[in-house]
Amino acid sequence: MTSSRERDRLLRIISLCVAIERKGGNPFEVEVKEALETLRRYLPHWKALEDFALDAETLNRISSIVGLQGNWIKHRSSTLFVDPLLIELKIKMLDPDKLVEIFRRTWHPVVEMDRLSAKRIAEAVDYWNHLSPLEDRLMKLPEATGALDLASLEDLVKARLISEESFTALLRSFWLELKAQAGDGERIPYWDFIYAPSYEDTVVRAYLTSFLVTYGFAAMEVDPLEEATFLRPRPEPREVSFTEQTISFPISIDYERWKAQAEGR
Amino acid sequence: MADDVSAYVRRVKRAAKILFYRRHRQPGVKGWELRRALGKEYLTVIDLLNQQLANVGLEVSTVFEGAERPDTPTSEQLDRARFYVTVKEPLTAADLVLSGWRVDDVAALVVTVSYIISKQGKAARRDIEQLLREKFPKWRVERSLNRYIRQGYLSEVDDVLYLDWRARAEIDQKSLIRLVIGGEATPASEPSEPSAASP
Repeated sequence: MTSSRERDRLLRIISLCVAIERKGGNPFEVEVKEALETLRRYLPHWKALEDFALDAETLNRISSIVGLQGNWIKHRSSTLFVDPLLIELKIKMLDPDKLVEIFRRTWHPVVEMDRLSAKRIAEAVDYWNHLSPLEDRLMKLPEATGALDLASLEDLVKARLISEESFTALLRSFWLELKAQAGDGERIPYWDFIYAPSYEDTVVRAYLTSFLVTYGFAAMEVDPLEEATFLRPRPEPREVSFTEQTISFPISIDYERWKAQAEGR
Repeated sequence: MADDVSAYVRRVKRAAKILFYRRHRQPGVKGWELRRALGKEYLTVIDLLNQQLANVGLEVSTVFEGAERPDTPTSEQLDRARFYVTVKEPLTAADLVLSGWRVDDVAALVVTVSYIISKQGKAARRDIEQLLREKFPKWRVERSLNRYIRQGYLSEVDDVLYLDWRARAEIDQKSLIRLVIGGEATPASEPSEPSAASP
């Protein structure tokens, strides 16, 4: 039976390897041979999947350390290796003029050029000549014509901008109409419900129907095979949460479609 | 024979245009771009160009991926390497002044680069800031490091600074380290300051 002491031992090996990888310490602080021997000794004790995973993770970290040890030796044997502490001390002792002199002797700046070709200049001139002035490009609102006056409530109702009754009451009465037409627990084809003798009224009914569905008064059912859409009124309006993800379902209120519906009646 | 010579001349001129004119975010071109533009003998063309550039104190430098330059680069390593035109000889003190570098910016750059080299190519930003703040104010240290990152001398990942493409292309790192610790770099032909009178 694996003990927590053995797991702790592996976790300590992993944390040491991770610390050296991240902070760039001396990778030879990890006794790779001893760590591998530990893994070999513990391997027969593992029974649970988590223990095998821990074993694999430890082996992975040790192999990274071996790679770092190789890089360490390569760097130390290269001509670029100098004791970091010595460099730090030397840097602190050098005055700016000496540092500038060192830079001057070791700096070989990259030479580069930018160009503007004759073709690109011609394209730019052509673009400039065809570009409209800024004030022409900015969209202007049409200026108001006629005198300003106040509109009465009757004017707004006649213009069908507002209704006499509140919108909620309007929606509720529309919902009751849907329930009456569909019947108890039944559904009604979408176009049968929104149809009105005039196209404009049909559009208004479609507009109100969209609110019925959005605010939970009715459900919309789509049969993709028949390409038919139905409305099923809910017995009671369902509370809609606007924090849940919703989808939009566009429906075209096509004039030809309305006309076909009218001719079919 | 004359056709071969003229073909090489054309390719050398093309190589010069490709190498000099900047087309990417950073100058220089990749080896595979040179191979595509100049053919598989592009290294010969580059050698010929180098001979011409030497007359004006320039040369084509190659920067390979990875910290160390391979002794015998493979074709794949050459494809991924980047070729730049650089100044061959060290600048004079007057040229350095004309380049627009402030003395404190140069000093901070030398300190930063040599510190990163001593730490095997990466160092925590806060360690470098701590080192520089012994002699410079905090705002100047931050401004300088950000400037080196913008220019391509350094790159920063998770608050760790590395040497970036410009440091590897422009700075002779071995000579830099030798000069910092007090030794002499491998002598390069030092240009002499222009003298007022000549015999």
